[in-house]
Amino acid sequence: MTVSDSHSHIIILGAGKGGTALLESFLNLPGVRVLGIADKNPAAPGLKLAQLHHIPTSQHPLDLIQKNDIHLIVNVTGDPTLPALLQPYTNPGTEVLGGSASKVLWELIQHQIHVQSQLFQAEKLAGFGTFASGIAHDINNPLYVILAMAEAIQEETDITEIRQQAVSIHEAAKRIQTISQDITQYARASRSQEFVQVHIDKQLNEALKIARFATKFQDITIDKHCQDGLVIYAKPEEILQVFVNLLTNAIQAMEGKGTLTLSTEKQDGYVHVAITDTGCGIPSENLQKIFDPFFTTKAVGKGTGLGLYNVRTIVRKYQGELEVESAIGKGTKFRLVFPCFPSN
Amino acid sequence: MTESTAAMFSGHATNGRVLIVDDEPDVRKVVRMTLEKAGYDVIEAEDGEKAIQAINQGENPLTLDVVISDIRMPKINGVEAINYFQQQWPRVPIIVLTGFPDMEMATGFLKKGIVDYLVKPVEKEKLIGAVSKAIQQREIHRL
Repeated sequence: MTVSDSHSHIIILGAGKGGTALLESFLNLPGVRVLGIADKNPAAPGLKLAQLHHIPTSQHPLDLIQKNDIHLIVNVTGDPTLPALLQPYTNPGTEVLGGSASKVLWELIQHQIHVQSQLFQAEKLAGFGTFASGIAHDINNPLYVILAMAEAIQEETDITEIRQQAVSIHEAAKRIQTISQDITQYARASRSQEFVQVHIDKQLNEALKIARFATKFQDITIDKHCQDGLVIYAKPEEILQVFVNLLTNAIQAMEGKGTLTLSTEKQDGYVHVAITDTGCGIPSENLQKIFDPFFTTKAVGKGTGLGLYNVRTIVRKYQGELEVESAIGKGTKFRLVFPCFPSN
Repeated sequence: MTESTAAMFSGHATNGRVLIVDDEPDVRKVVRMTLEKAGYDVIEAEDGEKAIQAINQGENPLTLDVVISDIRMPKINGVEAINYFQQQWPRVPIIVLTGFPDMEMATGFLKKGIVDYLVKPVEKEKLIGAVSKAIQQREIHRL
């Protein structure tokens, strides 16, 4: 057996729900390298995810398992006879995990995914304190128009004026409806664990709707340079959360005044996203710590210290990259890179 | 009550001249409707920059009795505009009218000499009461 590096080399058999969950978790583990995934169903979700990460896929296990540097084969096909069938073709140093062992492993991973998603949700809801006064502001303005005009209209005799005020009341009510929809859409827990095509521009726009509640002032210029049609393969809620966190930080760093620059482009099969603010900047001694869990410089109750930690966890999950550069008094730039979909 | 300067300059009797600064036309309209019914003369500005222009225009520097200002506005935000008003026209009382129900911010403004911090939606009696109180304060300053 040749061991080319210190990673554990793994082949996954089965790319349905179990195989996808395993793959997703293994992608996050620095000591593990997945060398291939097989499923007889060419449309199995795990195959698509693997292709995105340039991991070899096949409909036939034998295509993958005969390599000589495989340490472990995990069988989650649900077919208990498969390991025995494959035994003659595997190298002596390769272990095959099947039956209850792989079932326990799968359950552990399911549990870990569940805990992770609860952590994301907790941070999202805890972060709502940041938006509370912004949301109240955006509701109170149209509410004032509705209440005052509905009262005035009762004494108004000029029919043109009555009509005009009715239009204003209707518009104000519609604004409240939009705010309510935006908030509930963001606040609800991820309904779906499915990977789908995610349009970067759409998620950035959705995130801006939420992040704008993070400031009491409205003196921020938004400068967007976005390439059309950039798509990645991901869970939309997670990408939205990445953008909401980064945009909220940027807006807060500017204390209501400055320029927020958003740019996206496709380069060599990767989507590049840059979020730049002209805010206060991050001191160099903190730059190393900002992605640590529970690190925050915000006042108690204003920040959970989980925002950037979750951002990094999500970006890593998608085999992406996250970089930050900052200058005190000038601003901060976060650069994100995600593999494009389709990956060519 | 002393006859207001607005009435003296414009030649018709009003209870006073009020500048409303808010980026939302319908909010300005509601404030205008409420105050005009109560006998005030109302001028409007959509942001801090326009407010500064308005306050410097014609007779306004002399006739303006009260400024009602939002704080979340484009270009020059409310805090900057209020700082400017206070420096240039320290005797013109300022009322903040905002959608932010924020005690901390309210206290900060009141310490800076803002006469009232009103949160939208504000009842018309409360708005008229605040304007009337502010104008009394203006009259006292004139004595």
